[in-house]
Amino acid sequence: MITTSSKLFYGLGAVSIAGSIVWIIAHDGGALGAVALVFIAIALIFLGGIASYVRDGHVLSTDTEQHDSAPAAQRGPSHSWFPLGTALALGMLVVGLVTSPGIFKVGVALLLAMLGEWLIQNWSDRASSDPSYNERVRGWVVHPLEIPVGGALLLGAIVLSFSRIFLALSVEAGPIVFAILGALVLFFGSMLSIRRGTSTRVVGAVCGVALLALSVVGVALALNGEREGLTIAAEEDHFAHRACGEEAEESDEDAVRAVSAKSSVAATVTLKDGVLYAEMDGYSGPLTSISLQRAWNSSILFLNEDEGEHRMVVTYGKVVESLGGGVERETLLQACTSLVAKGGQQGVVVNIPKPSISSTEGFSITVPGLEGASIEVMVP
Amino acid sequence: MKKMIDQFGESMKTARRWRNASKAAIAVSALSFVASCGRDAPQDTWQPAGPNAERIDNLQRPVFYVAGVVGVIVFAAVAWSMYRYRDRGQAIPEQTHGKPAVEIVLTVIPVLILLGVAIPTASTIFKLAETSDTEMTINVTGQQWWWEYDYPAVGSNIEQYGITAPIVTAGQLVIPENTKVLLRVTSRDVIHSYWIPKLNGKKDSVPGRVHLLRMEGSKPGIYAGQCTEFCGLSHAYMRMEAVVLSRADYDKWVANQLEEYTVPEIGTDAAAGESVFIQQCSRCHQVNGLKNSDGSLNIAAPEQNLVSGAAPNLTNLMTRNTFAGASWDLLTPECRDNVWNASSADFGERYLAGVSTECLNQKDLREWLRNAPAKKPMYADPTKLASTGGLYRGMPDLGLTEDQINVIVAYLLERK
Ligand code: HEC
Ligand SMILES: [Cu+2]
Repeated sequence: MITTSSKLFYGLGAVSIAGSIVWIIAHDGGALGAVALVFIAIALIFLGGIASYVRDGHVLSTDTEQHDSAPAAQRGPSHSWFPLGTALALGMLVVGLVTSPGIFKVGVALLLAMLGEWLIQNWSDRASSDPSYNERVRGWVVHPLEIPVGGALLLGAIVLSFSRIFLALSVEAGPIVFAILGALVLFFGSMLSIRRGTSTRVVGAVCGVALLALSVVGVALALNGEREGLTIAAEEDHFAHRACGEEAEESDEDAVRAVSAKSSVAATVTLKDGVLYAEMDGYSGPLTSISLQRAWNSSILFLNEDEGEHRMVVTYGKVVESLGGGVERETLLQACTSLVAKGGQQGVVVNIPKPSISSTEGFSITVPGLEGASIEVMVP
Repeated sequence: MKKMIDQFGESMKTARRWRNASKAAIAVSALSFVASCGRDAPQDTWQPAGPNAERIDNLQRPVFYVAGVVGVIVFAAVAWSMYRYRDRGQAIPEQTHGKPAVEIVLTVIPVLILLGVAIPTASTIFKLAETSDTEMTINVTGQQWWWEYDYPAVGSNIEQYGITAPIVTAGQLVIPENTKVLLRVTSRDVIHSYWIPKLNGKKDSVPGRVHLLRMEGSKPGIYAGQCTEFCGLSHAYMRMEAVVLSRADYDKWVANQLEEYTVPEIGTDAAAGESVFIQQCSRCHQVNGLKNSDGSLNIAAPEQNLVSGAAPNLTNLMTRNTFAGASWDLLTPECRDNVWNASSADFGERYLAGVSTECLNQKDLREWLRNAPAKKPMYADPTKLASTGGLYRGMPDLGLTEDQINVIVAYLLERK
């Protein structure tokens, strides 16, 4: 017998089979998608069979006792926000199609999530005549997905809000604000753990309020933009390689001690009193001659301790191009920082392909405009 | 009657099971006993040959003994309880929970033991991390699947040890006896780990980072080790050796490494080998001082041919006595024994003799030159380099003819 709900499954199964045929034709005999669709069809038809067999769980009209108590006779909970969510998703889908692929993708994900939830909600509402059991049944099916995904989204929101706040606060205020916040979290956490009787509702409310506050502040600051230094840095693009000579004028006013530049430096080069010296892990004392690894990234940190703005230049050979007709062009292989003011630090990463014996002049680290400020670089 | 027979059968089965179990137990303990007898195990941490390894040994022995005693007590207590309170159909005794006195005692004792272990451990860790007393610095770089050593001509290396130009070698780390050497360990591709068990603990070599490892040998000799961080296909063939020489011998070694390139005599096999080398090998392998036919210096371009950007420097290949990740000998077995088993007084001289024509292990070296990836698995099939943009991991099969191999061997024999 083809009952109401088995119709749905049979229909979907038929569509899947038709889809698999279309797939095979569209993919010139490719089978992978067709195999998947056929298996989906088998599963759907199986479900349809079960629905037929139990006649949708419907109550016989003669069984009057069951008319009120049977699962199928129960009203579903009237408040469901899935239609709302689905509508939102559809809206994003349409808006995303015209504006940005990001919104479109979120819309697709939301639509799938909403439809899935809605389907399972409806099914579980009629699983038995006991609403609390139905709720549990729903939980068994969707919690393994809902909880991790929800947790990840929550975590993402927290991390994102925190990072927005960090980027907007000044360099000095950041650590203080977060020390205080951390202390507060620790304090409330300890209080909750010491006081046994606190109800989960209170804990939930506190966490909820904190989360809300965090995301509101995060969103507000994100709209407000990052702190001034960062916006300037982005405009100046201080990671771009520019001319290394004395005439080059770009300077990095905010040469900060970026963590990425400080971790695993091969050498720290300091300019002090007109003299250049290097320090390297594993060597004692200041060096005026250093050895760098060949064919590997070495990050070199420049620290300007002198008055005025200076840049560090690493020179590691030259390439000679033939321009035809016996004309050759020599280009120095160089990497340099931009101008760094007193007390500032900046790093460059060099990958030196050839040993220093390949160059008659040898390799060096210098500061343009400062005669004598030079370090010999050896590359074996 | 039937019941009796069944019972008998059961007890026979149990007896047999017991016998099998005890057989297995005896076999296992016999095996571990035999294993503990390995007196000349070359990679034995329990036979330290330098102050750093001794420090570790001095720590691990007491810890091992304490742990052993604790282990025996625990096992005995468990076994006794299992026997004493086995199920004989008696009533289940009253179940109690929490007994502060016992809990405190059983917390305090382990805390005391752990404190007793922690203090010397921390002090050993700090001593092993000491770098301010360094006398010599060597860069150690791991790449698939061999180790490169470069001796920078910097600071005390020049002043104290006469390393006036960078020395680059592979496979065998050569260091002077009773000298506080500091290795700056890093990698050019994946993570490896440097370990000479008789001289110190292991240290990971991580691309983009420099890790410091002290190395000091108190007796001339060769100390074996191997990469101890799985690093791909030929991880098992990524071995290394530390060679400790007396100070006088070390000076000779340095002087030899810094010697000018000797141009093979015109007309010899070696001279023919040199030109084959320039055509076939020098795009990866550097030989310092080698000149192209136009008189310009030959500079290898491993960065254009290999993922790691490096191939072993062959300038003084025949001064080492193993090759390809210290996995094969350059010496014949007799000559090898002569060096490896030498007394510490004779060792230096025999090691410095390098590889002579008579002592060369022709078989393995020729097999390597004939088809390297057949000897040591490497990603060196030129048709399968799409994912690395045409770069090899390891040395490819160069399709050399036997004539070419003959002259190359003659050429390589002079690299010392
Ligand atoms: C594509 C680059 C490449 C070319 C070309 C090449 N090799 Fe190699 N060779 C290597 C690499 C990489 C190793 C290290 C392999 C290992 O141990 O894992 C190596 C190892 C060796 C070793 C062992 C060195 C040691 O100290 O461990 C010898 C000897 C050698 N090659 C000789 C030659 C000769 C002779 C030629 C020319 C006929 C040649 N190679 C051509 C890449 C190359
Ligand atoms: Cu390795």
